Amino acid sequence: MEPVKKGLISRSGLWVGVLAAVALVLPLLVSSTFAIDIFIRILLFAFIGVAWNLMGGYAKQLSLGHAAYFGLGAYTSTILLIRYGVSPWIGMLAGGVVAMLASLPIGALCFRLRGPYFAIATIATAQVLMLLFLKFRDFAWGAEGTTMPNLGDAPLMMQFDGKAPYYYVVLALLAIGLAITYRIERSWMGYYLVAVGEDEDAAEAIGVDAIRIKRNIYLISAFLTALAGTFYVQYIYFIDPNTAFSFNVSVEAALVSIVGGIGTLWGPVVGTVLLEATSALLQSWLGGGHGGIQLTVYSLILIAVILCRPAGLIGLLTDAYDRVVHAGAARVKEVPLDG
Amino acid sequence: MAEALVIRNLSRRFGGLRAVQDVSFAVNEGETLALIGPNGAGKTTSFNLITGYHRPDAGSVLAFGREIVGLRPHDICAHGLARTFQVARPFGKMTVLANVMTGAFLRDKRLDAAREQAREAIEFVGLSPKEHTPARDLTTIDQRRLELARALATQPRLLLLDEVMAGLNPAEIDQAVALVGKLSQRGLTIVIVEHVMRAIMAVARHIVVLDHGQKIAEGNPKEVVANQDVIRAYLGTGYVQPASAGERPC
Amino acid sequence: MLTTIAQAVINGLLIGGIYALVSIGVTLIFGVVKIVNFAQGEFVMIGMYISYFLAASFGIDPLVSLCISMPALFVIGVLLQHFLLRRVLALGDMPQIFLTFALSLLLVNLALLLFTADYRTVQTPYSETAVHLGALYIPVAKLIAFAVAMVLSGLLWVFLHTTDLGRAMRAAAQNRDVAMLMGINPDRVFCVAVGLALALAGAAGSLLMPFYPAYPLVGQVFVLMAFVAVVLGTLGNVTGALIASLMMGVAESLGIQFVGADSGLIVVFAMLLLTLAFRPNGLFGGWSR
Repeated sequence: MEPVKKGLISRSGLWVGVLAAVALVLPLLVSSTFAIDIFIRILLFAFIGVAWNLMGGYAKQLSLGHAAYFGLGAYTSTILLIRYGVSPWIGMLAGGVVAMLASLPIGALCFRLRGPYFAIATIATAQVLMLLFLKFRDFAWGAEGTTMPNLGDAPLMMQFDGKAPYYYVVLALLAIGLAITYRIERSWMGYYLVAVGEDEDAAEAIGVDAIRIKRNIYLISAFLTALAGTFYVQYIYFIDPNTAFSFNVSVEAALVSIVGGIGTLWGPVVGTVLLEATSALLQSWLGGGHGGIQLTVYSLILIAVILCRPAGLIGLLTDAYDRVVHAGAARVKEVPLDG
Repeated sequence: MAEALVIRNLSRRFGGLRAVQDVSFAVNEGETLALIGPNGAGKTTSFNLITGYHRPDAGSVLAFGREIVGLRPHDICAHGLARTFQVARPFGKMTVLANVMTGAFLRDKRLDAAREQAREAIEFVGLSPKEHTPARDLTTIDQRRLELARALATQPRLLLLDEVMAGLNPAEIDQAVALVGKLSQRGLTIVIVEHVMRAIMAVARHIVVLDHGQKIAEGNPKEVVANQDVIRAYLGTGYVQPASAGERPC
Repeated sequence: MLTTIAQAVINGLLIGGIYALVSIGVTLIFGVVKIVNFAQGEFVMIGMYISYFLAASFGIDPLVSLCISMPALFVIGVLLQHFLLRRVLALGDMPQIFLTFALSLLLVNLALLLFTADYRTVQTPYSETAVHLGALYIPVAKLIAFAVAMVLSGLLWVFLHTTDLGRAMRAAAQNRDVAMLMGINPDRVFCVAVGLALALAGAAGSLLMPFYPAYPLVGQVFVLMAFVAVVLGTLGNVTGALIASLMMGVAESLGIQFVGADSGLIVVFAMLLLTLAFRPNGLFGGWSR
């Protein structure tokens, strides 16, 4: 088995290397700011998807309220920036910590709930936060939100001229998210997560502290999602409760993993690329804001994917990879198999 | 000899149903105890109470001298009690090896150590050739073997087996009995819930009989088989022999 | 002061009746088919548009068009279950949730495409009138909506508890496998369940028309409240959904009255989260383990 394994690793390592190289030079090759904006969106939502996937994909805790952490991260860094002049780089980390702290009581409440109760409770928590921030006028600008002070080109304050630097920041975030997922996947924690996701009671029977595992992965997931929140508001120079705690963020976080491949390393990336690319294509073919047609087609495609390939489209890709690269030879791994 | 497991006055009701009523018994270290009784007698519920899946309404469970009532299942497993489920519950997405490694991680979080421990357990149950098969692709019997291997990987001192022999053919029963015997030889304390008489007689010297949640008999196989209450419970009043030389055990 | 409270309670109860129709539908589908229907609000929207166009084109009063919107949505429900939902039954929570979510997205955007985002209203002779009970002000349109909602809920209860098909549905809800062993055809039962649920949504739509505008996103408002009520009342429990809906209508109304005009939702969500903290399975779900 050893030679096959080595070949497998060096081959997939090669692919990752190629991918990384392409990703690094992309902004240099493409001049259209519109295109770079799309790439940034793809990387950002892939990152959010990766953060969500740790909880929702591996441990099967279907949260539809991750916008709560996105928003908390965004507001923490913004408040620190505008009221105290703290750099968003530090604010980003602070936002992550705030999100982690918030995930503790939210998790304590929600993890006792099973199935749809859990999902709905997570939706409710994100909505409550949105409603609260809509009311916080003195502390957090209420419903109108606020724009970021324009500091020009200020890298130390996470503001850059041009889009390329933002691209690299979010690329780095995605790389961090993928690296963390990779390490967890191949450690005892990865096995425990999948076990809890598959059958929590059976996992407990073999010594897995399900509550602690869920809490820990929630901490990580919330932290990463908060980083994305900070980045996003820094990128669009604006924050308000509807943007920061948007249900769409929660949905997309889950959707990209579901479409791309739940509980896999690259699933969220594949899903984001497909979804965002489809969305962009639809927008250019069917015309911009003309109410509803591109989302109509988009939702039809979504329905088709769910009906035909519920485990996510990454299965299609790995099958193709196997067929091309290994001429159909069975893939042998002792890490948890992808669904 | 030390007592591995002491159950005292264990009780639990679900709504109006008294699933387990005031059950008490003890298992010595290294012993194999069979827990038998007609369907619905409360055997699996007793397991669930012992391993922490349900909280007993009353009673105590001492495992190796420590009170485990109120502990969560994973703590109880860490303390040395492992169980298998009546219907096997493998982690379908994972391979056999991955499943068992998950169990092994309890004692050692390192990948290599866990893999080695897992492979030992897999070999013990005879699943080595299927190490890399996804658990959901296994036959029911292999899934049971997997269940056992996974439990063994947690290095238990007390093993609770819930109807591992159900649906096996005679040859398979012999294999299973041999496995249980080997485990016993290693010093493992075993409590086994079973319906297959042949297996019970082969592995257990100590039997506890439950019916409608209550303990109705306890003793060695010979005593239990002759016990009128036991016969009545399984076969109904028509089979009870008139009072004769049969001893009444405790 | 007492009058203010009483008025708020009445307002809450009246709108709670509408929430009840929507939430009973959601809980019925979940109880029987075990799918969470995120698109339920959109069927309310469809009901509203049906009544709107019948009123605008033929002058049919929305309350009369109940007789058209309800059967129409029943049929849509049967088709929905038979052709779409059935395919995802075996797939587990996530694909199901996302399917109905995608469906919701589809319906909202189709409505945007077909009807634009314009608000559509219907004026009836009773749209602006009210009954005065002492100092209390009870809008007639809302009162009728509440009354009809209660009647429909009552009829559903009777159906579920006295007819064979109704009992079959409850059986399938409690234990699908055993129900099948008893000769209950799951597909038929599921189709009827979804059909009824959507019919109730359609009824809610028609009842809303006299005092509420129709627009593509209108469903989202009601579905949110419906979901909270469903969870509060315990998923699958029809009576629970009804009671919880009324409670929530009142809570929202009291919240708006005494906490702030924008605080209705917060009060409702606070209620939900508090309840789940102590009763993880809703008010009527008993304790877990």
